[in-house]
Amino acid sequence: MSANGTRLSVEGATKTFASGNLTVFEGLDLAVREGEAVCILGPSGCGKTTLLRCMHGLAELSGGQIVIDGAAVRSPRRNVAMVFQHFGLMPWKRVRENVSYGLELAGVPKATIAERVERYIDLVGLRGFEEAYPYALSGGMQQRVGLARALAVEPEVLLMDEPFGSLDALTREVLQDELLRIYQARPRTMVFITHSIEEAIALGDRVVVLSARPARVREILVVDIPRPRTVASVIADRRFVELRDRCWRLLRKEAA
Amino acid sequence: MKAAAQAGTPARPGGRSLPGGSDLAVRVASVIVVLVTWEFFGPSLNPAILKPPSAILAAFPVLIENGELQLALGQSLRVYAGGMTIALLAGLALGIASGRSRVIYNVIDPWVSALYSIPSVALIPVVGLALGYSGDLPRIATVALFGIFPILINTQQGVRNVDPGLLEVARAFSSSERRLWKDVVVPAALPFILAGVRLAIGRGLIGMIVAEFLIGLAGLGYLIIVYQNTFRIDRMFVPVIVVAVIGIALMGFVQFVEGRVAPWMRREQ
Repeated sequence: MSANGTRLSVEGATKTFASGNLTVFEGLDLAVREGEAVCILGPSGCGKTTLLRCMHGLAELSGGQIVIDGAAVRSPRRNVAMVFQHFGLMPWKRVRENVSYGLELAGVPKATIAERVERYIDLVGLRGFEEAYPYALSGGMQQRVGLARALAVEPEVLLMDEPFGSLDALTREVLQDELLRIYQARPRTMVFITHSIEEAIALGDRVVVLSARPARVREILVVDIPRPRTVASVIADRRFVELRDRCWRLLRKEAA
Repeated sequence: MKAAAQAGTPARPGGRSLPGGSDLAVRVASVIVVLVTWEFFGPSLNPAILKPPSAILAAFPVLIENGELQLALGQSLRVYAGGMTIALLAGLALGIASGRSRVIYNVIDPWVSALYSIPSVALIPVVGLALGYSGDLPRIATVALFGIFPILINTQQGVRNVDPGLLEVARAFSSSERRLWKDVVVPAALPFILAGVRLAIGRGLIGMIVAEFLIGLAGLGYLIIVYQNTFRIDRMFVPVIVVAVIGIALMGFVQFVEGRVAPWMRREQ
């Protein structure tokens, strides 16, 4: 972490695809403070997911850099964990084995793995499903496994790639509440990609609104709704309506 | 590119299944009806050729007592086991190698495509000319030739078609190459490989019998020819039934193995 409390910074990040014809984002700048939850909101096709993959070194930037803890990101690191929109569970591993996956790869001692797996299975509400295979779980339960797998490695930075994007509205709200509870019990630096305005406001300390392709940072909104929050408490807050309208107007101009 | 055989267990035909146990009852009834019809009406059509099931059953102890069946079975199984082992090892090795390396894929694919398109039976004379007509070797080679392609192609497709999302997850958690194979590639390819093995079992049996017909007169295939030529149709069916039992038993074994090594494939019914 740098002296001013910045854990992750995006500096002039540019990504160009396909022999330079398609620029998905250009000159992005963003600094995420330690323990801060930043939601990145943008129209579809603006490279949100690509940006997140670059933050983890899963894709390369064409220009600029992303710095975590003072070092430029080149490949995935053990103190950063990712939650995927497609869940990314191994169908052949039981819940418990999926949760322990990251810990095993990190070479954590067996006893620690056992203890952590139990703790995070409890934390995300998977008790009783430890021996189930993913196919037997609903989408919401599967993403709880994805979340537990990422949290279990106790990462310094959590990267969330539209983790609830494929869930139905009700399940989605339940999991947003779960994530709020988990985050508020122990805030850790989080970058959360979404195209849902409500989700971005409910979860984020700040909301970064991107423009359409080639994406730039259009505006950064501070969500001054006090924590601890729940989705219900956020929606009931009068500032929510203001923020939502502001986001809506910004995105409307881009959607065209 | 060739399509790999369907992984997993085939879906039941006709969507709606009968209430518990009825499926089995229909299957058993089907077998009984055919056997009974054969028993009572078959001989009246052609008594010299259509021997009833009871006569075939009676031929079993005869062939066991004179030792012919055991001898032929031993010869056949030796050849089949040898050929299938080669098919399995070479198929897996070439399948994995060509699945992960584009260069190796391009080197072997023209040959695999060509040899797999030709009916394997057409190549048996080539095997005979190359390896001679005596000893087990040409027959082992024939079984291997028949069995290798489904295993090779399915392994290759299984390795190539691993969900890219899971490969990314492995990268995101900084997986080593060795763990990547253990956690992702092998389990993902396993259903394809086992489906290939199931296909290979049947094809290998065809190879075994045809090789026994055409080269090196030995084994169950030879026994079939001998009793066909002497019009002992009751005895001729004995090795035929034994081959069927071998095939069914091996399929059952692979399905058992599948349940053990790939329990996640046991989807809810």
